[in-house]
Amino acid sequence: MITNPYLPQPAEIISITKETTTDYTFRLKTDIQPDFGQFVEVSIPKVGEAPISVSNAQPGWIELTIRRVGHLTNELHELKPGDLLFIRGPYGKGFPKEQYRDKSLIIAAGGTGLAPVRNLINYYYQHPGEVRQLSLLMGFKTPEDILFKEDIEKWRSKFQVLLTVDKESPGWSGHVGLITNFVKDAVGENSSASRVIIVGPPLMMKFTSQEFIKYNIPEENIWLSFERKMCCGIGKCGHCRINDTYVCLEGPVFPYITAKNLLD
Amino acid sequence: MSVDTKKIKKNAYRVTKTRGKTCLRVRVPGGHLPSQYLEIIKEIADKFGNGTVHLTTRQGFEIPGIDFSSIEMINQLISPMIVGLEKEIGVPLANGFDKGYPAAGTRNVSACIGNRVCTMANCDTTALAQKIERTIFPNDFHVKIAVTGCPNDCIKAHMQDIGVIAQVEPLYDETRCISCKACVKNCQKVATGALTMGNYKVERDPHRCLGCGECILKCPNAAWTRGNKFYRLVIMGRTGKRNPRLAQTFVQWASEDVVLGVIKNMYKYIDKHIDRTLEKEHVGYIFDRTGYNEFKNVVLEGIQLNPEIRIATFINFHGSIYDSQIIFENVTKA
Amino acid sequence: MAYILTHAEFDTVLQRLKQDYILIGPVRKKNKGKFSDADLITYGQIESLSDLETNGKSQFSAKETIFPPSQTLFYFTEDEYREPKFEPQKRIVFLRACDFNAIKRLDLLFLENGQFVDAYYKRLREKTHFFVFGCEKSYENCFCVSTGTNQCEGYDAFLNFKGEKINLFPSEPFKRYFAGYEENEDILPQFIERNHIQVDIPEGLSTKIYDHPYWDQYGKRCIGCGRCNFSCPTCTCFTMQDIFYRDNKNAGERRRVWASCQVDGFTDMAGGHSYRKQQGERMRFKVMHKIHDFAKRFNMHMCVGCGRCDDVCPEYISFSQCISGLKGVVAHDN
Ligand SMILES: Cc1cc2nc3c(=O)[nH]c(=O)nc-3n(C[C@H](O)[C@H](O)[C@H](O)COP(=O)(O)OP(=O)(O)OC[C@H]3O[C@@H](n4cnc5c(N)ncnc54)[C@H](O)[C@@H]3O)c2cc1C
Ligand code: HEM
Ligand code: SF4
Ligand code: SF4
Ligand code: SF4
Ligand code: SF4
Ligand code: SF4
Ligand code: FES
Repeated sequence: MITNPYLPQPAEIISITKETTTDYTFRLKTDIQPDFGQFVEVSIPKVGEAPISVSNAQPGWIELTIRRVGHLTNELHELKPGDLLFIRGPYGKGFPKEQYRDKSLIIAAGGTGLAPVRNLINYYYQHPGEVRQLSLLMGFKTPEDILFKEDIEKWRSKFQVLLTVDKESPGWSGHVGLITNFVKDAVGENSSASRVIIVGPPLMMKFTSQEFIKYNIPEENIWLSFERKMCCGIGKCGHCRINDTYVCLEGPVFPYITAKNLLD
Repeated sequence: MSVDTKKIKKNAYRVTKTRGKTCLRVRVPGGHLPSQYLEIIKEIADKFGNGTVHLTTRQGFEIPGIDFSSIEMINQLISPMIVGLEKEIGVPLANGFDKGYPAAGTRNVSACIGNRVCTMANCDTTALAQKIERTIFPNDFHVKIAVTGCPNDCIKAHMQDIGVIAQVEPLYDETRCISCKACVKNCQKVATGALTMGNYKVERDPHRCLGCGECILKCPNAAWTRGNKFYRLVIMGRTGKRNPRLAQTFVQWASEDVVLGVIKNMYKYIDKHIDRTLEKEHVGYIFDRTGYNEFKNVVLEGIQLNPEIRIATFINFHGSIYDSQIIFENVTKA
Repeated sequence: MAYILTHAEFDTVLQRLKQDYILIGPVRKKNKGKFSDADLITYGQIESLSDLETNGKSQFSAKETIFPPSQTLFYFTEDEYREPKFEPQKRIVFLRACDFNAIKRLDLLFLENGQFVDAYYKRLREKTHFFVFGCEKSYENCFCVSTGTNQCEGYDAFLNFKGEKINLFPSEPFKRYFAGYEENEDILPQFIERNHIQVDIPEGLSTKIYDHPYWDQYGKRCIGCGRCNFSCPTCTCFTMQDIFYRDNKNAGERRRVWASCQVDGFTDMAGGHSYRKQQGERMRFKVMHKIHDFAKRFNMHMCVGCGRCDDVCPEYISFSQCISGLKGVVAHDN
């Protein structure tokens, strides 16, 4: 009997947290234990399947933070606790946690890009000694788009947190401006020993990494997480391929030195 | 000089502006001919005409500047061409093939270039035109018929008494369809919007579909393939002094047998209703007198209809307004 | 060692094979070509030797016998899902050397890329045996000799059609079907040794040529129809589709269909972001996959030189000429 890698497993929704009006976090009952930065293929049978990053995980459950953007994600947002979702995975290569051990780590996340690194941040929250220092640089479009507000407050207690919005709205007293404007502040001194993770929309990752390099972060100390259209997650469908690299297999997390040669 | 003009006209010669000179009209059924015949045309034009040849609207040749006295000689010279283009396709000529054309009323059956060359064409238009020629020629009734390979209608079937427009039934194999939507977008843009996408597969509204075959041409994966050939007949189109108009659809999804049968029967219809007090009444005007239903009844008589055929319940032609005071004004008037 | 059979004898063998296998091969589908009155050569079931079309290259390759254009992965009902009840029968597929070499490429992708084996592919693949027939002549656009895929090994049988006779080289397990027929120790399989087209795949390709203006011509010429990919024996890309049935919303299926990197939508992500918007960039992506990127992963070029991408391109874009031109670009730039 051949095992069928496309076969999804039912997973019950334990709870749903509405982070913003368009981003919901689903906690699913499942035994899978993903690495940091991996993704799963989520589906509603008869509607569709999509790759979604694991935004949090503990034995017995995982969380997925899903933005409502189209056919499947619209339907997902109609579901209630107790309903079944279907998942397969986890897939892909995540963050090389070992390489951050005892180092200063900067995580720069734009918008939903925070989802794939949230799990890692939570891990360091529980194991603060594992990195020398953690700085979080997070940017959202407006204050209304901010994800994981409770987590962010919690993280402030242990890490340096820099939260900025592109456009303020009444009541906002925090930073305003693109992430790139704050790279300098996040880097601090002794930058060449720091490790940097950048996750967000393609243009944000491009300019933010250029900025970090400008402030003397060596290219080999930067990691990015890619997003591509993916239909299989397992190196068959071809949609995610760039050159000879399959983002679903060798990614979605890539060292910058690899990523910069992944030209479309 | 004494010339029986009725006789020479029937023989495909005409009275011309220049007294004493006539002009031979050569038929090319289906509008496609072996190039060898061009030498015959050339020989007649050079030796008996004025060294010029006119390409006619209906895809024949007219050779002007011929003396009436040369007619018999020319009928000999043109004989191989009548054999090749008429006898060979099965046209019966009771008086043999060396006496010139036996009739000129029914005009050359013309055709667009068709599927021998054109990518869009849904049939071999020349071959069908030849079958029609065989069915109706020779005949004195004044009838114009043309065959076109697709609804682009390059031959202007819409200006004929009977225009034949080839159709193809597109067949869809959903197991080959990869949902690229090329056919849907294209039918929307260049045809009738008969295709829609549902559940990633294509649905065809047979009532909107023209049978143009565009979907088959566009499909990259042969999910659409060619089914049977059918024909749409448009009728009673004309130019001329009285009421020029485009032909309207009479039947669609008709088989070739129906097409040939209807065309044959139309001559019975003309024979039954023609106003013999006129020199030669065109079928379109007969139609205007008898109305559509009588036409339909006579031309469909005894014809075995194929199950796919659709027949028009009524036909509405637009009329011209000739009193120029009604819609035209004199803008230069003070 | 060859068995030498007449066509009639081989037909008898085929009838015996049919008791154990379904026979599949290139067949000529009369009037199913995209143009009117043209044939389509494509893969289909064969009942006897006369069904097998060895004269002319098939428009689609043998890949669809193990990787169908549209394949159901799951059926869903209200609260359960199941895989299609799927016990493929044992099959023999007749194909040419290039296409047989292409199967090796499909194997690498579906069975060895990443840690997972594609179960749907494997199930069909395991039941499929390959009878390769030698090409008597090279067709237009073939360049298999240049890609080294004119030769092959590892087949279940090899055939050379030799006029009245067929030289057969069965593998051990199939020898029993040929026992008793004429044998000849000295005859060896014959592969085509020359094509009209030679292609020299350039060494030293890299991302450096990505921005080269060389690709611009394709931006202007390519219409993004995907024919080159769908007809290619080595293209493996697919897209997932979920649907529910119109008449029963509680039931539906998940399937995969062929995809093409030349066609719009291949890289579309939510929010309207996509990569390689220009057709020239897509041409580059395809070409690089065929003659560079695949080989970097799997140590053999993806392209097997069948020339179908040239055969089917409605815009007369030649893949082999593109490669040859690229050689010049690389030589100039390095
Ligand atoms: C590795 C990875 C991780 C991701 N993580 C998250 C996450 O944590 N949270 C989140 O909200 N979104 C995430 N996405 C994006 C998410 O997959 C898309 O938003 C989702 O596919 C949209 O599906 P839809 O049917 O609602 O949208 P539609 O626009 O209706 O999608 C149409 C089709 O396009 C395809 N598609 C569209 N966008 C994408 C895309 N970005 N990637 C792959 N296929 C796509 C799908 O196959 C879908 O069938 C991730 C994408 C990738 C590749
Ligand atoms: C004595 C009178 C007429 C003669 C001798 C005559 C002759 C011809 C001939 C020989 C042709 C065919 C040319 C060819 O083969 O290419 C022709 C075409 C044509 N005639 Fe006449 N004709 C006459 C009267 C009329 C009248 C009265 C009308 C209009 C009511 C008419 C309308 C047309 C039209 C529209 C065409 C071209 C049709 C097409 O596009 O196929 N003709 N004529
Ligand atoms: S035949 Fe023409 S009209 Fe009919 S569906 Fe195809 S493209 Fe549309
Ligand atoms: S063009 Fe062909 S493959 Fe594309 S949607 Fe239409 S039928 Fe399907
Ligand atoms: S790229 Fe072209 S020549 Fe090469 S295998 Fe594919 S179809 Fe054949
Ligand atoms: S050439 Fe394009 S369609 Fe073909 S396998 Fe490569 S990426 Fe896929
Ligand atoms: S077949 Fe030709 S026109 Fe169509 S996508 Fe391929 S290269 Fe472009
Ligand atoms: S998602 Fe299918 S190959 Fe990467």
